[in-house]
Parts: sequence; C-alpha cells; structure tokens
Amino acid sequence: MSMRSQVYEWDAARETTPKDVADYIGNRISIFIGGVGNNITKPAETTATEFVVIEDIACTPSLGTLSTVPAAVVVRGLTTAAGGLAGPRAYVQVRINTTDYFLDPDNIPNDGIPGAGSPYPRSINFQPSFNLYPDVYVLPGQVWDALVTFYNDGFPGAAFAAGELMCFVKYTLYDGPDALIANKLLEMGISINPGNVDWYKRSLLQAQA
Amino acid sequence: MSMRSQVYEWSNLQANANQLRRTTSDLPVGVVAKREYDIFTGGLGNNITKPAETTATQFIVIEDVAASPLLGGAVQIRINTTDYFQNPDVTDMSGIPGLASPYPRGANSTVDTTVDTASAIGSENTLKSFDLYPDVYVLPGQTFQILYSARTATTATSTEIVSCFLKYTLYDGPDALIANKLLELGVTINPNNVDWYKRSLIEQQQRSRAVAGGQQ
Repeated sequence: MSMRSQVYEWDAARETTPKDVADYIGNRISIFIGGVGNNITKPAETTATEFVVIEDIACTPSLGTLSTVPAAVVVRGLTTAAGGLAGPRAYVQVRINTTDYFLDPDNIPNDGIPGAGSPYPRSINFQPSFNLYPDVYVLPGQVWDALVTFYNDGFPGAAFAAGELMCFVKYTLYDGPDALIANKLLEMGISINPGNVDWYKRSLLQAQA
Repeated sequence: MSMRSQVYEWSNLQANANQLRRTTSDLPVGVVAKREYDIFTGGLGNNITKPAETTATQFIVIEDVAASPLLGGAVQIRINTTDYFQNPDVTDMSGIPGLASPYPRGANSTVDTTVDTASAIGSENTLKSFDLYPDVYVLPGQTFQILYSARTATTATSTEIVSCFLKYTLYDGPDALIANKLLELGVTINPNNVDWYKRSLIEQQQRSRAVAGGQQ
C-alpha cells in the first residue's frame, strides 16, 4: 500500500463543545490544528520517505440573495446573515511550509478557493467551477496546512453546528519506494499521479529484463 | 511551484469604497446598469492593490470566467486595451453572459425583490453552456482586466448580491519561458504540454551526453 488515496473532512462543530462563531469569524483556522472542530495530533507533514499530492480542496458554499432578506432565513440549506448572504462565505487556502499557494493577480496571498467555486458537499444547487489542476505537491520534509476563513455569520446559533462550516481535502500519499519514484518523476517534469508512477515502475522492469 | 492554479472571486459586497480585503461587515452595494466594473480595481466590492498584470517572468492562461446569472450579468476579458469577446460585426459586446457561464454553478437566475423570504430566490439551477476553450493567454508584460456588467441595475430597495469568478493558471520563472516557447511553436499552453517540453529537453540533454561519451 505505497500509493494511497486519502481524504480529510473537517467540520467546525465536530467536538464535544463546539466553539462560538463570533470568536473565529474573519480569522484563518487550520483544519488540522486550529483548535476548532475535529483536529489531528500534530501539524500535517511529510516524512523523508513520503510525498503528498493534493488533488482537491473544497469548503461550504455560500449564495447571495437580497439585502432585504433578514438573518436566519434558510435558503437552499444555507442560513442568511444580515445583508442577505446565505452561508458562511468561506474560503480555503493551502499553505506549504510558510508559503500560501493561492495569490491575487497582484501577487499578494488571498483567502484561497471560495466555497461557491469548490463546494463541499456538492449538490444540484452547488456545483464546482474549479478543479485543482495542476495538483499541489508536498515534497518530503515539508509541512502543509489547509486554512479556512469565513466572513459571514450565516449560522443560526451562537456556536457552530454540524454541517454549517466544513472543509474537504483529497490527496494521494506516496510512501517508501513510490515516494522515491514520485521525486524522480518531479525531476523529469512528469506529472505525479498513480498512472505515471506505475508507468515508471513498468519501464524499470522492462529495462531490467 | 512554478505552475499554479489560481482563482479570483469578486462580489458586490463591501464595507467601504475601494476596499482591498473582505471583511465581516461587508454588505451588498448597488450596481449600475450597463457599466463595466473592473473586478480587480473597479472600486466596487473586493479589489486588489494594482491592475492585474504579468511581469517579464510570468505567463497567465485564463481558463474560466463566470458571473452571476442575475440581472443579465456578463463578463468580458480585456487584454491591454483589447476586448476579447466581440460581436460578429466586430463591435463591442458585454462578454459571456452569466446565464451561459454561471457562478456559482447551480445558482438561481431569478429573484423576486418584492418578498424577503426564502421564496425570493428562484428555484432553478443554472448550468453552464460555455467553456472557455481555447484558453486566453496573457503574455509577459501585459495588463488584463475582467469586466463585469449588468444589463439591469440592482434594485435600490432590495439589492441583489452578484459575483464574478476567474480561474487561471500562473506560469512563473522557467515555466513562463517554456510557455513562451510553446506559443512560438503553436502548441497549446497547459501544464501537460509544459511538462512534455521539459521532458523533451531532458531527453535531448541525455542524448547529447551519450553521444559525447561515445566519442571519448
């Protein structure tokens, strides 16, 4: 099992006592170690024998309505805040070591992918406009993170509730010999995906035969 | 990270005019009919610090543009001073309609401004009819604008929230040089072809080394 498809799902409410929305609105929250929702034991990082390829990221979508629609109206499963925007107005940024991946055209890091562009969960009402291509590579020894920022208080209660603010990351973990092959493919300028790793293995076997 | 997938999202939500960052106190502001708003530096909604441009070592490939299907919204791409989308008689047009390239995908295309309940939002799900293919290239040193316009103004008493979305790939450094080379060769610029060009360079080097080794 040296190439493994992996996912991580984060829900801001998935903890014993969900946090208050007001304490986190407008702030960046790490989905791994941010102290909100379900977290992991340490920052996400690759060891010297691991290679991670992030293939998709998504977060809770939002939908604009009308400025006169009051707060707490449910529109397509999302709750409005004052101003008429339904949903959390959430974005997700990928950070490798200390570098943010998504930039504005003036080369300043932005909030990342909007949930309306890459929604999670997907539905008839909310479909993706974005796919993460080229993929994001996390090289051996690097630390990586997914950071969620939300700007709209589209939450019925004071604390987060299940499904109101979520994030999803899909990645492939290459381990051991496959991580070495992934590094080799990177040197060769070949996209790293399971098909190309298998192709490289086959070409090694053919060269031996 | 010299080939990076990038996005930019704009909406008519702001707390102050000429606002750079999104804030938690943003509210919808009115959009005038038939006025082109630059989503980067138009002064309305979230903006950036300077006009979008590529440096001498950058190459941008715009892969998707989309806008809210409300109010007859449309989105135009302008490279330097040239509009990309034109009428068949080569006159100006407002660009790709939000109904053809909606953002968010699946969004409603109608609103009822006379009510302030969930039923104000139309029940339809607008899907895309348009794919930006071939892609639009922004060469090194060029300035580009994404212009949003609405055929109908927002309602003064009940302002509609509209958005615009841009997806592009930024090639930087050596990959921008390769993108230029592919352009010269007439090959489509995408991450696969940039990788293919790198591989062919490596193979060429290896062949040269083998030949040099054989001669010694």
